[in-house]
Amino acid sequence: MSTSRQLSESRAIPTRTVLINDTTQLPHDYCTTPGGTLFSTTPGGTRIIYDRKFLLDRRNSPIAQTPPAHLPVIPGVTSQHILSENKKNEANNHINNHDGKPTTGDDSQFEMDI
Amino acid sequence: MNNKFDALKDDDSGDHEQDQGSPKDSEKEKPEEDDKEQNIIKKKKYKKTTDPDGPGEHPLQYNYTFWYSRRTPGRPASTQSYEQNIKQIGSFASVEQFWRFYSHMIRPGDLTGHSDFHLFKEGIKPMWEDDANKMGGKWIIRLRKGLASRCWENLILAMLGEQFMVGEEICGAVVSVRFQEDIISIWNKTASDQATTARIRDTLRRVLNLPPNTIMEYKTHTDSIKAWEDFHGLVNASGGR
Repeated sequence: MSTSRQLSESRAIPTRTVLINDTTQLPHDYCTTPGGTLFSTTPGGTRIIYDRKFLLDRRNSPIAQTPPAHLPVIPGVTSQHILSENKKNEANNHINNHDGKPTTGDDSQFEMDI
Repeated sequence: MNNKFDALKDDDSGDHEQDQGSPKDSEKEKPEEDDKEQNIIKKKKYKKTTDPDGPGEHPLQYNYTFWYSRRTPGRPASTQSYEQNIKQIGSFASVEQFWRFYSHMIRPGDLTGHSDFHLFKEGIKPMWEDDANKMGGKWIIRLRKGLASRCWENLILAMLGEQFMVGEEICGAVVSVRFQEDIISIWNKTASDQATTARIRDTLRRVLNLPPNTIMEYKTHTDSIKAWEDFHGLVNASGGR
């Protein structure tokens, strides 16, 4: 048993107050449970939950590259070649990024109608 | 994040009707009972691709099926022609199988004409008349051109990843390419279940990153059927399109 004992000084728990005006300003992981959902209840019991980032990360795995067997040929809809990913979709699609900055490419993620 | 709850899978409670896209156990074979009434679904042909047990594959809570439909302009719509115009692209049971399909499909923003992609749980047809849908409704979001691809992707990733947390209620999602706007929607089984529809709405707001002032509208399918009938001047006993 240690004979030397020190009392640490007591301090208030440091907090930071952030004023937000809109739900879009909430941090991306606000109030999340494992798996990234917002909700604490799971109706129907335990479920297999994946968050967006995890799903996107699987896109490049080798088993995801080949076209599926029996992919119907629908011109203009399906392709035997991998269609180029919209890299902008994979960028951190952060809820807070409503700063009006357009990304390059056909789908501008952050355009806003004024 | 891998599913940490594999050991608890058998503890799932709740009714799981076989033909309602029931969640599957990784320990048991995909039940073949779904085949009986699903004439359109050639499940046996897809048996391999709906088996998630390949090494390194991550199973989904449900199996899903991609569908595609297109209406030829000028051709009158009817229940029969809708069912004929809608085509299955394929079914999948794992994250990796999903990407195999999705990476080989055009993004909705690049579709031409009056076209739709539908992603529904296996066993549920993307039609109002399906048992899973007849008491149901959908949240619809109208988007100006240019947003559909990103929003559709975010929507289906949320659905596949079970982000909606409404038990069995989700039926599927649709992206509709139209003349001057695009529409995404998510269908659930019980239109009158306000707790469910509210939760779906909240999840949509969180995962879709929509432009401010985007309006989300909830429509029951019975209301949609009535609107369709009025528009087409038809009264159809089965309530179909």
